[in-house]
Amino acid sequence: MKNEQVKYRFFTIFQYKQEEEFLRQQHNNGWRFTKLNALICYRFEKCEPQDVVYQLDYNPDGIAHKAEYVQMFRDCGWEYLQDYVGYSYFRKPTSEMNGDEEIFSDDSSRDDLMKQVINRRVRFLPLIAIFLCIIIPQIFFQSQFGGLYGKIFTGVFMALGILYLIIFLLSIFRDENNH
Amino acid sequence: MDAHIRKVYVPMTETGFYILLCLRETMHGYGIVQKVEALTQGEIKLSPGTMYGSLSKMEKDGLIRFVREEDKRKFYCITDLGNQVLELEMKRIERLYRTMTEVENNEK
Repeated sequence: MKNEQVKYRFFTIFQYKQEEEFLRQQHNNGWRFTKLNALICYRFEKCEPQDVVYQLDYNPDGIAHKAEYVQMFRDCGWEYLQDYVGYSYFRKPTSEMNGDEEIFSDDSSRDDLMKQVINRRVRFLPLIAIFLCIIIPQIFFQSQFGGLYGKIFTGVFMALGILYLIIFLLSIFRDENNH
Repeated sequence: MDAHIRKVYVPMTETGFYILLCLRETMHGYGIVQKVEALTQGEIKLSPGTMYGSLSKMEKDGLIRFVREEDKRKFYCITDLGNQVLELEMKRIERLYRTMTEVENNEK
């Protein structure tokens, strides 16, 4: 009998509720979550079935001050598991709770979480839109023209395209590095 | 007090209110959680995500200030601005309570 299990699931950044529910379900079935990597690869180890609540927090400030952040959760009885692409994973067995417990006690702080997620992820959308709708078509379009101007414009838009790719890569790299 | 602070904090969340109320003495986040639990006979249990987020936001807005760190726990206390906001909130809640009682009594 294998003691480890790997499940492949993809949750978008907006589906953290579903992700929490999935992890809780697994623990209820006797599979304790151990690690998430490669975006979709959830690892579990065999355990006694137990009702354990899983919670995801999105708090760049918390990750930047990890020691105090994790301590606050630990004091409140939440076990810290890992960070992954901006989300921090926590769990707490229902047997240690008085009634329902979550890591957010009011809706406005939950909304703050979503705002942070959106601010950090969606700020790239205008850049991506310009890239897809202007730069790439222009490279194609300008290269149809012969002559000096055609070559110059193709060159200019190619340079812009490369610049954009560098910006994307740097932002993704920096984002990953932060977490 | 500028309009932004007033708009964001009056009225404020229950967690925010308890933070300011408790931080008239210096204490750390989990200390506030424990104190509020004791004050409300275990009825109100503030959550760590909300607590951490509110503390950083209030520190950034200058309602509370960082005092010291011990065993990875940050101690804070209220500032003058924080006190002004707390006073406004207390007045608002008093008025709310008065109005509520008056309406209730009139209906009897």
